[in-house]
Amino acid sequence: MTEPVLEVSGLVKHYPLTRGVVFRKQVGAVRAVDGVDFTLGRGETLGIVGESGCGKSTVAKMLVNLERPTAGSIRYKGEDITRLSGRALKAVRRNIQMVFQDPYTSLNPRMTVGDIIGEPYEIHPEAAPKGDRRRRVRELLDVVGLDPEYANRYPHQFSGGQRQRIGIARGLALRPEVIVADEPVSALDVSVQAQVVNLMDRLQSEFGLAYVFIAHDLSIVRHLSDRVGVMYLGRIVETGTDTEIYEHPTHPYTQALLSAVPVPDPRARERRERIILGGDVPSPTDVPSGCRFRTRCWKARERCALEAPALAVPAWFEASGGPAAHDSACHFAEAVPVGRSAPEQVVPVEGHGNGPG
Amino acid sequence: MLLEVRDLRVEFHTRDGVAKAVDGVSYGVDAGETLAVLGESGSGKSVTAQAVMGILDVPPGRITGGEVVFRGRDLLKLKEDERRKVRGAEMAMIFQDALSSLNPVLSVGDQLAEMFTVHRGMSRRDARARAVELMDRVRIPAARERAGQYPHQFSGGMRQRIMIAMALALEPALIIADEPTTALDVTVQAQVMELLAELRRELGMGLILITHDLGVVADVADRIAVMYAGRIVESAPVHDVYKAPAHPYTRGLLDSVPRLDLKGRELRAIKGLPPNLTRVPPGCAFHPRCPLARDVCRTDEPPLYEVSATRGSACHFWRECLDD
Amino acid sequence: MPEQHYEPEPALAGAAAGGAVDLDVVEARTPERRPQGPDGSGPRGKPRSLWSDAWRDLRRNPVFLVSALVILFLVLISLWPSAITSGSPLTCDLSKAQEGSRAGHPFGFDGQGCDVYTRTVYGARTSVAVGVLATLGVAVLGSVLGALAGFLGGAWDSVLSRVTDVFFAIPVVLGGLVLLSVVTSDTVWPVIGFIVLLGWPQISRIARSAVITARQNDYVQAARALGASRSRLVLRHIAPNAVAPVIVVATIALGTYIALEATLSYLGVGLKPPSVSWGIDISAASPYIRNAPHALLWPSGALAVTVLAFIMLGDAVRDALDPKLR
Repeated sequence: MTEPVLEVSGLVKHYPLTRGVVFRKQVGAVRAVDGVDFTLGRGETLGIVGESGCGKSTVAKMLVNLERPTAGSIRYKGEDITRLSGRALKAVRRNIQMVFQDPYTSLNPRMTVGDIIGEPYEIHPEAAPKGDRRRRVRELLDVVGLDPEYANRYPHQFSGGQRQRIGIARGLALRPEVIVADEPVSALDVSVQAQVVNLMDRLQSEFGLAYVFIAHDLSIVRHLSDRVGVMYLGRIVETGTDTEIYEHPTHPYTQALLSAVPVPDPRARERRERIILGGDVPSPTDVPSGCRFRTRCWKARERCALEAPALAVPAWFEASGGPAAHDSACHFAEAVPVGRSAPEQVVPVEGHGNGPG
Repeated sequence: MLLEVRDLRVEFHTRDGVAKAVDGVSYGVDAGETLAVLGESGSGKSVTAQAVMGILDVPPGRITGGEVVFRGRDLLKLKEDERRKVRGAEMAMIFQDALSSLNPVLSVGDQLAEMFTVHRGMSRRDARARAVELMDRVRIPAARERAGQYPHQFSGGMRQRIMIAMALALEPALIIADEPTTALDVTVQAQVMELLAELRRELGMGLILITHDLGVVADVADRIAVMYAGRIVESAPVHDVYKAPAHPYTRGLLDSVPRLDLKGRELRAIKGLPPNLTRVPPGCAFHPRCPLARDVCRTDEPPLYEVSATRGSACHFWRECLDD
Repeated sequence: MPEQHYEPEPALAGAAAGGAVDLDVVEARTPERRPQGPDGSGPRGKPRSLWSDAWRDLRRNPVFLVSALVILFLVLISLWPSAITSGSPLTCDLSKAQEGSRAGHPFGFDGQGCDVYTRTVYGARTSVAVGVLATLGVAVLGSVLGALAGFLGGAWDSVLSRVTDVFFAIPVVLGGLVLLSVVTSDTVWPVIGFIVLLGWPQISRIARSAVITARQNDYVQAARALGASRSRLVLRHIAPNAVAPVIVVATIALGTYIALEATLSYLGVGLKPPSVSWGIDISAASPYIRNAPHALLWPSGALAVTVLAFIMLGDAVRDALDPKLR
């Protein structure tokens, strides 16, 4: 990996659950993110996949400083940005920008497209001299494939895909090094998704961007990512290069997730074997002891309830090397080629699996 | 044929003019068969289903032509109270958003039991027993205890199971599922699709699956009808379509989704946007976005050409598309 | 530049909107009102904002046109009452008490022998002044406090919301009887002050929830992520998006404040003679309803039309600003 631009370690975000109106008392916590580590290299794409409620969006918000972590650090070129405030924070923000999921709520309906894309320059006047801003805005519109003449129109006059392009242009305005994209295409139509994915691909090489690409769609994440982290209930359970994760997954959750993705090829129907997970993701207010996946895991044994597995290369793979030797937080990590993975299993649903959410 | 839709037309009156949401759609589904209706937003796939089900909002919608023949009767000619008897008992629908489709102040057991007391005239006790049985059948663990709970106490996947249970309650011959798993996570989607397929096999029902997800279609469908701008552009057995699409729009869709199993190719996106339904381009509606488009496409609307006995394509150049 | 598309905008948000989650919602709604130029203008046409959209809707709305004309007329006569009446509301001639209409005095005379026409015209001035000033006060105080509660949240919000509840709990008429009966001033200010004091919680609640809604939008998060200052967030992103509901409620409230002033004046605790007010006139005329109904009818009618005009205006503005609220 190239020199890291972002190093995240021990990242935790707990939201206290309180009772009472004036005199609040804490009755518990939502453990949205519960110890996440990763690094992001210059010009690299790190994909983070996981199902709803796994904490991936909260990670995104902490990366761009919209949420303060409860614990842990986020280092941008060695400097911990979670402790910054005021001018220093503002300076760092120029370099880490975000693209949002919903193109309908992420653009201010009262501002013209030109004002939206130009706003970064108003907030950071040092980034572009005043006389130059109009030209830059038009340039940005052109870069994301929109007619610069659109600058004085309002967002509601654009389609979802076009609005997402506007959001991307705003993210690019300050020439950041890192862009955090939280489900940037999931609200778009299939045929439009591809346009935006290709755009992001092109911009990455054109501007040397590093992406943290967060999505629930495993196919899109693979398409864009160099490395992938799989999140479950507030933690990364497995991480590695895209080949390691998608072709040699060793964590049972990753295996189940991959086997559940429908492949657009009916011939695959007969060949593939699915792992159908039983039950639901436990509530983040009531995280299982030990390994958090054990309530839905077909490999779970007593040890899993007692001891939380660390995210590391399992010792038995370390010696042999090969693509199975990557970080996996499972006591019983096992390499199974995808498609012919573990025999079809339905895991009995008990205990934690029943909670709402 | 269990259900046959013939030349169905639905219009909406809007400020911008008349939108032909469904413009001459025909498709059929047999008992025990799964038909996938594939399309993006605005393609008319849901409106067609609402017209078939008889739950279209009128106004603003209006059915202006066609037939919906179900078990030998044209449903569009039935009176509303006869129609109501068909709904639920003979054909049922599953929606995307299970939470807003369930009544939040009634326990799920009561809601299921109501199907039996209202339609079958069962006693409350018997109906309740049947409700628990149904919940069991859609694999809701601890059904007896959970029957007393309210919709918000269930997770998204479990709520969708309850919706399926409601649809199945009166053992209909046809189920229409409108994006049943779109709001669900992949692992839960797999559970729900598996359950639907299994129940369909067990009960020998026909299933119309409305979706935009090419993966889900490949997984469960027997036949596909691809819709674009209110029309069917391709209709074929599922294997044929994925092997070699006979319409450039279908090809475009297949090329534009990233594949888990094929990494690294650039996505061949379809350029442009789907048309506004009040201003559908003349000739073939897809021509402004089509790589094969020629002059004839701008003027002549293509009929559904017969590609083979079981397959049709609304493209003047379907041969070229097949060979591509 | 690969994959650009500059077509004459084949579809606007309508057809192409949506996506995974709200796919069929959008599909079902496709034919509804959608942002498209009135004449089908593509994106190269004139830019439009919410306000210009709303204005376009309003211009075509007869309810708006009628109420706006009435209000315009009221404002004009309260600014220049002498333009349509030469008399003075305080020049009365007891000998003409309760007389009916006659040349130069179309509405007749009241119990004190004052010209009802002149008094009704001058009464508009009081009503408009009370209505406008009280609404301004309520809107400013209410939106500032409500916006603070909504923006700051936490303890601020709890305290402000409880204070709001306390004021809400005061019955308006009873409060007026108690508080205003100790005031001796004969200006409009005590009444305005009283209305502001009891009226702000209504706006404050609206403003609070509007701010909370606006604050949660992703574009506010986006601006925060850019490093925008608090004042920029509030002034540029939150306020413009929260102001519409406040304007709507304030317009409707304006009508009710005019009615409230009349009620208080009728009860003798609002304005006091020699002030001229429809409430005072209604109160003075009600004992003579049998002998001189015209003295009661004209100020009551003027009051009813005025209140109605403001409420209708508020309704029309609401429909124009947010069709979903209907």
